[in-house]
Amino acid sequence: MAVLRKVLAGWLCGTLALISFCGVCGAGAATEYEVKAVFVFNFSRFVEWSPQAFSAPNAPFVIGVLGNDPFGAHLDEAMRGEQLDQHPLVVRRFRTVEEIGDCQILFIDRSENERLGQIIAALDHRSTLTVSELDRSSERGVMIQFTTENNRIRLRINVEAARAAGLTISSKLLRSAEIVSIRGGG
Amino acid sequence: MRSSTTTPIRRTLLRMIFLSAGAVLAVTTTAFCAYEFLTFRQSSVQQLQILSRAIASNSTAALAFDNAEDASTVLAAFKADPHIAAAALYDSQGKVFAMYPRGLSAAQFPMRPGAPGYAFGRTELIGFEPVEEGSKRLGTLFVDSDLGAMYARIKLYGLIVFLVIGISVPLAYLISRRLQHQLLQPILALAETTRAVSERHDYSVRAVRTGAYEFDLFTDTFNQMLTQIQLSEAKLHAQLGRLSLLQHITRATGERQDLPSIFQVVLDSLEANLPMDFGCFLLHDAAARSLTVSVLGAAGKGFADKLALAVRLDVPLDANGLSRCVAGELVYEPDVLKVPFPFPQRLAAAGLKSMVIAPLIVENQVFGVLVCARRKQEAFSSGECEFLKQLSEHVALASHQARLYGALQQAYDDLRQSQHTVMQQERLRALGQMASGIAHDINNAISPVSLYTESLLEREPNLSERARGYLTTIQRAIEDVARTVARMREFYREREAQLTLERVDLGRAVRQVVELTRPRWSDLPQQRGVMVDLKTDLNDGLPDIMGAEHEIRDALTNLIFNAVDAMPSGGMLTVRAHRSVQVDGADRVFVDVSDTGIGMDEDTRRRCLEPFFTTKGERGTGLGLAMVYGMIQRHSAELEIESSVGKGTRVRLSFPAYTSSAVMNSHVTRVPVVNRRLRILLVDDDPLLIKSLQDTLQEDGHRITATHGGQAGIDAFGAAQKRGECFDIVVTDLGMPHVDGRKVASAIKTMSSATPVILLTGWGQRLIAANDIPPHVDKLLSKPPRLQELRAALAELLP
Repeated sequence: MAVLRKVLAGWLCGTLALISFCGVCGAGAATEYEVKAVFVFNFSRFVEWSPQAFSAPNAPFVIGVLGNDPFGAHLDEAMRGEQLDQHPLVVRRFRTVEEIGDCQILFIDRSENERLGQIIAALDHRSTLTVSELDRSSERGVMIQFTTENNRIRLRINVEAARAAGLTISSKLLRSAEIVSIRGGG
Repeated sequence: MRSSTTTPIRRTLLRMIFLSAGAVLAVTTTAFCAYEFLTFRQSSVQQLQILSRAIASNSTAALAFDNAEDASTVLAAFKADPHIAAAALYDSQGKVFAMYPRGLSAAQFPMRPGAPGYAFGRTELIGFEPVEEGSKRLGTLFVDSDLGAMYARIKLYGLIVFLVIGISVPLAYLISRRLQHQLLQPILALAETTRAVSERHDYSVRAVRTGAYEFDLFTDTFNQMLTQIQLSEAKLHAQLGRLSLLQHITRATGERQDLPSIFQVVLDSLEANLPMDFGCFLLHDAAARSLTVSVLGAAGKGFADKLALAVRLDVPLDANGLSRCVAGELVYEPDVLKVPFPFPQRLAAAGLKSMVIAPLIVENQVFGVLVCARRKQEAFSSGECEFLKQLSEHVALASHQARLYGALQQAYDDLRQSQHTVMQQERLRALGQMASGIAHDINNAISPVSLYTESLLEREPNLSERARGYLTTIQRAIEDVARTVARMREFYREREAQLTLERVDLGRAVRQVVELTRPRWSDLPQQRGVMVDLKTDLNDGLPDIMGAEHEIRDALTNLIFNAVDAMPSGGMLTVRAHRSVQVDGADRVFVDVSDTGIGMDEDTRRRCLEPFFTTKGERGTGLGLAMVYGMIQRHSAELEIESSVGKGTRVRLSFPAYTSSAVMNSHVTRVPVVNRRLRILLVDDDPLLIKSLQDTLQEDGHRITATHGGQAGIDAFGAAQKRGECFDIVVTDLGMPHVDGRKVASAIKTMSSATPVILLTGWGQRLIAANDIPPHVDKLLSKPPRLQELRAALAELLP
């Protein structure tokens, strides 16, 4: 009996350990850009654009990625089927800043680190919410910067940059983010 | 005082008030509590919802950007509500994202979020609120609020209810008491009154007004009813009392038979029981139109004195109430002061202010009135008037019966008296008839003695003095016998005997009687060895009296006989005659006959004069003293008897003395004599009488033809008439066998109407007195015939 109990206990422990390892692996694999894709999508909910930001009332709400696309398919998955008011959500990927037409949210990839100043300048006075994961990018004029803290994604928001772009960021978003008061590029 | 019957009303009323108040209170508080409870639940849910929504709304960014810290901070806002026991935030996958308070154990919230909505558990309110940003569902908020607030509220309500009940119950009690008092007081008072009435039969109590309109109406009606009952009760009571009084009086009057005692008992009863202050009965004399006081009430004596009323006093009958009453009307004067007539004014002056006069009516005649009076005005009720009217009828009836009874008694007494008288008369008549027969025979028998004695005295001058004296005595004795016989008949004569009064020398009469009765008072007692000593005491110079000597002699004889009989063992007999002039000038002569015998007791003395009353048994006739009394009456004399038992008796005869003024009835007339010789026919059936008459008449020189019997006389008269020798006169006896004197007279008159007829009769004196001379008889003479009378008759008839 004792032998059987030990065998049964060991089997149970093994099974439970396997399940928890798989969960951790899955989470860890999906976590960063999957979460950041959702975050980007969620920005559309907590930021208010002026109607002038759209060329037409039913013009698509464009979420652009400038530079390399770190999201893969996650961003598209996150946007699938979603709609903001009358505006269908569209993900567009831009190689250069010149390609950028109407764009409500622009994710600036790390690869654009060198050209960030230009990009910010190019986007000046356009109602485009700029998002980047570049270090200290918020101080350089990016409106929302992803940071990682204790293995968790945190936001740094340059409120003045957003206000300059004519965007109103929800106070709820502001509360859960770190406010950067230095206005970059301007 | 509250009786068990009244308590349930109070209790019921209290219960009603409490039940209704309690029900209202219970419904109100229950409704209030239920409403409050429901409202509170609703508001609790709403509040929780609002709070949850606010938290959820604030949690969106934290969920959207996976900021658990921020979420926890947001959830910490639940701290504002101390009743929030637990809260948890789930992400869109349903995993717990944040919780409140921090470090909440897994048992305190569900592992997976439930459907949105709120639900009450046993001790908590649980809600799931979706966390959405725009239309994007970001997660779910779980809230668990304990129901402490609600319990606190319920406790508060409980306290309020308790307080409300605690205050309202005593308040309700006080108010209900107050209301009850107002409501019940009249009812209880009425109930109390009713109880008093029903238990004590006291109809004088009254329910008290309370001021509440309906109750006062009720109370008034009730009191009115009580008043009526009381009046009826009093009336009934009075009626019963009067009925009982009437019965009492009727019974009392029924036991009495005379008016005054009936009236007296009626007045006594009325004064004691009606009552009244003054009462009297007045008797009505219809002929004299006056009222006489018959009986006065004993208690109203003082008033009677003030009224100056006394028994047998007349009360004038004027146009006042009395005359109305006498007309048969019951008169009631409620205020006599206002009646301006004498009798009411007399009452008023005596202090009697009201009166009732009731008539006593028998056979439609008012024979009296009953007067009742009281001091107060209007003191007689109609019931009492009616009572007095009825009473007066009863009294009248009783009086009538008493009168009838009296009349009956009188009639009965009269009848007895008549019967007694008739019996006595019958006895006297029998005695008289017997005496008449005896008298006839005696008269016949002594007729020859009388005729011859008279003839001898008249015609024999040579008689010796002694012989003449004897003859005179014989003649007087014969006369006495004749008178005695005549007087015997007086017993049965209805009218007073005719009495011829003459002067009588009482002394001589006494001496004669003493001499005549000597054998009785001297000889007979001596034979029995008893000595009776007789003493005569005759005063000299006694005046004569007017009287019938023979009657006086008889009376004295009877008195002497009685005196001797009263002395069976001898004694002293005194006869005394004396004269006395009275103070009024009357001159009287007394004759006393006294003995020393056994005497008479009072009863005997009182009855001794009654006819047939005797103490001598068979020896006495009971007529002696009665005859004496008759003599006394006829002589206007007086009789006085003094007697004491064992000492003797004195009888005194008192005669008025003779005075010259007294009329002398007797007179001596010269007897006429017929000088011629007459042919006389004598008819009689008694040979001795015929012989003596024949002898004496022949000596007068007449020619006498004597016949024996009536028929022989008629025959002799007829024979003589045929011969032509007619008789001058016929003298015939009345009582003869076969043909009596009347027939003889009738026959003679038929043959010769001119021939006078003289009828002789032993009953002659009676016929004369009765003025009953038969027809055809010219002269009636009684036996024994006296020669002088016969001569006078002849002279009268044949002048």
